[in-house]
Amino acid sequence: MGWRQPLLLLWVTLSSLACSTAYEEDSIRMGLASAPITLDPRYATDATSERINRLLYQRLVAFDERSMPIPAVADWQRLSPRRYRVRLNQSAGRFLQGRRLDADDVIATYRYVLDPNNASPRRSGITMIEEIVKVDDLTVDFKLSRSDPLFPAYLTLDILPADLINSDHDFARNPVGSGPFSFNAWPLPGRLILKRREDNRRFEFVEVKNPTVRVLKLLRGEIDMLQNDLSPELIDYLQAQAGIGIERRDGSNFTYIGFNLRDPQTADPRLRRAIAHAIDRQAIIHHLMQGAARRAEALLPPEHWAGADALKAHAYDPQRAVSLLREAGYGAANPLRLVYKTSSDPFRIRLATVVQSQLKAVGIEVELRSYDWGTFFGDIKAGNFQLYSLSWVGIRTPDIFNYVFASDSLPPAGANRGRYASVAVDRLLQQLESADSLERQAQLYHRIQRQLHADLPYLPLWYEGQVVASSPRISGYRLMRDGNYDGLEQVRVRRQQGMEDGHIAVAY
Amino acid sequence: MGRFLFSRLISALVVIVGVVCLVFMLIHLVPGDPVDVMLGESALPADREALRSSLGLDRPLAVQLAEYLKGVVRFDLGRSLHAKQAVAELLAERIPATLELALAALVITLLIAIPLGIVAAVNRGRAADWGAMGFSMLGLSIPNFWLGPMLILCFSLWLGWTPVSGREGMSSLILPAVTLGMSFAAILARMVRSSLLEVLDEDFVRTARAKGLDEKRVIWRHAMGNAWLPVITLVGLQLGALLGGAVVTEVVFDWPGIGSLMIESIQKRDYPVVQGCVLFISLAYVLVNTLTDLIYGLVDPRIHGGGGR
Repeated sequence: MGWRQPLLLLWVTLSSLACSTAYEEDSIRMGLASAPITLDPRYATDATSERINRLLYQRLVAFDERSMPIPAVADWQRLSPRRYRVRLNQSAGRFLQGRRLDADDVIATYRYVLDPNNASPRRSGITMIEEIVKVDDLTVDFKLSRSDPLFPAYLTLDILPADLINSDHDFARNPVGSGPFSFNAWPLPGRLILKRREDNRRFEFVEVKNPTVRVLKLLRGEIDMLQNDLSPELIDYLQAQAGIGIERRDGSNFTYIGFNLRDPQTADPRLRRAIAHAIDRQAIIHHLMQGAARRAEALLPPEHWAGADALKAHAYDPQRAVSLLREAGYGAANPLRLVYKTSSDPFRIRLATVVQSQLKAVGIEVELRSYDWGTFFGDIKAGNFQLYSLSWVGIRTPDIFNYVFASDSLPPAGANRGRYASVAVDRLLQQLESADSLERQAQLYHRIQRQLHADLPYLPLWYEGQVVASSPRISGYRLMRDGNYDGLEQVRVRRQQGMEDGHIAVAY
Repeated sequence: MGRFLFSRLISALVVIVGVVCLVFMLIHLVPGDPVDVMLGESALPADREALRSSLGLDRPLAVQLAEYLKGVVRFDLGRSLHAKQAVAELLAERIPATLELALAALVITLLIAIPLGIVAAVNRGRAADWGAMGFSMLGLSIPNFWLGPMLILCFSLWLGWTPVSGREGMSSLILPAVTLGMSFAAILARMVRSSLLEVLDEDFVRTARAKGLDEKRVIWRHAMGNAWLPVITLVGLQLGALLGGAVVTEVVFDWPGIGSLMIESIQKRDYPVVQGCVLFISLAYVLVNTLTDLIYGLVDPRIHGGGGR
């Protein structure tokens, strides 16, 4: 019997060590692939933090379906090309202390981000602001260093309370905002709890890294919903499960293959065109992604106000690819050999493998190299690659073209990772600086996209679709095109009230 | 014994300082920049430099290392570059989960491995031996990233006995502990079997049997008593590995332990947290190995007693 006592003691010790973090029954639980890093929007750069922060804070401007800026908590007026007046409207909410968001909060937030000593990653987007002047408690004037008709689209900082900014409050762990949700607790790194202000409903954001486990948790009712970051097979599996609702919609996150224009091989436009004709994007979307994407021809989707919708697709044409390769001096005796770099993300590796196989069919030998994110991204920024694949997520404003394709936007000054240099594109980007209306800007952006389509510094692949899977316990979630979580404002828990006429009656 | 402990303490210090220095250099040599991860790609170069300077990352590596070691001596492990929290706090959040999982996995390992190894050794060449070693081979061959989801499917989804993942009380500990314990049990069972087989052929076991002692007493008291040393060595090494974090199991079960913290920190190039995790893991290894050596002395007094009576 002697051995049983220490064993029992050990088990009791373990029991007491095991902290209880059981979920509350009335909570709505969302499974996340990665937890937010910081709830201070001045420093958030990861997608999850930004999505959660949208729930906690309010911002002056929002976007419509065409990505045009529309009023959120403020309306604006262009007083002159370099002066905008912003007036808070009725949508401006209250902070937890009961005080309504006002001009002082707007000024404090923007001044904090603009201060170079604070090293906010958001500063680069608003450096054109020269001066911020308070007109009255609800009105602020922004004076700009240069004219920009798209300026309101940059007024997307989450607004923090001025008094707490001044007292150096720890927003990262204890956020205070005027958004539709308030912070409740963050008991574990992977478990964040918010409350919806409207009805005090608890929302738990639970990090579940493994996608299969995330799906199993949904099926067992441990989480109520999960959004994106699922392989097509898992989505198919969920679709076949009784009671699980799947909703999809088109997205705007853009996936592409990037070329190094300073590499002696990939600098040859015939070779880039050959690759474009050798990759069957539609087949990849159909078979690998099971339809959960739409083919892209440019960085911005066609519905974007500056998007180009008349670009001729680089059609899948292996014969044309072979003849372009032959023109460039490659053939069976002298096959083209390229290195394709990718991250260690399993889906990226699968995509790279499919591309490798399709390129092999036209005689291009591709060597795949996958690295952890830091190493991979370091190589890409340093221009140490021939081919790579990445996505642009959450792009709203077309100034991305300057950031990605201007010849002076080489990293770290910009994201021209492929070292693309086009006199035509640079000239068009310069003309944009003097374009005084959005219509004129849209025309110039269309021309830029046509030039890029011809030069192929990127091979556009697709816009990834959004998908949400939810348990029968909840309803009303609205899926957003950019994958944000704003739909949580409408989500409701169904209450079973019993059987009526053989059906379960559900109340909201 | 005092001399032994002193010499162990000195070698432990050398090992820990060596490991910390080596990891410090290696993590800084790996491509990737924490400033990039913190500010994103769109940050202005001036802001990058300002942040790099404020974090002290612009100083020579040797200076950074010296500063870090000075901090460690004062029990200051620095602050996370990302979470803006003290590294000691982050470790304190994760260590209970790691201890809990390591101990539970060790219990499961011992509960499975020792009986299995004994049964296999005592029944050498018979069906029970084949069965036990077949089970052990299975445990060795099944990777944790597959076993974990299978156990979840069976015990959480179909039977509904345990939560799928997370650290939500005692029931959530069972599946990760079994997943982790299975592979360790497979190795340990083979070790118990081979140690016991060696001892079972010794004269003193034959003598014990000849004296008419019952088989249970012969196995447990006489044979196992002399077969413990290699088993204890292996258990010590396994406990060290368990305390070092079982990354795959932690990821599958969303167990908030040291292993997953270290992997996340490596991905984010959060140098102070990686250093803190490495320090904890080295300390755990050294402590467990020292304890193992002490237990050797208890099991076989000749070891620390100079080798003779």
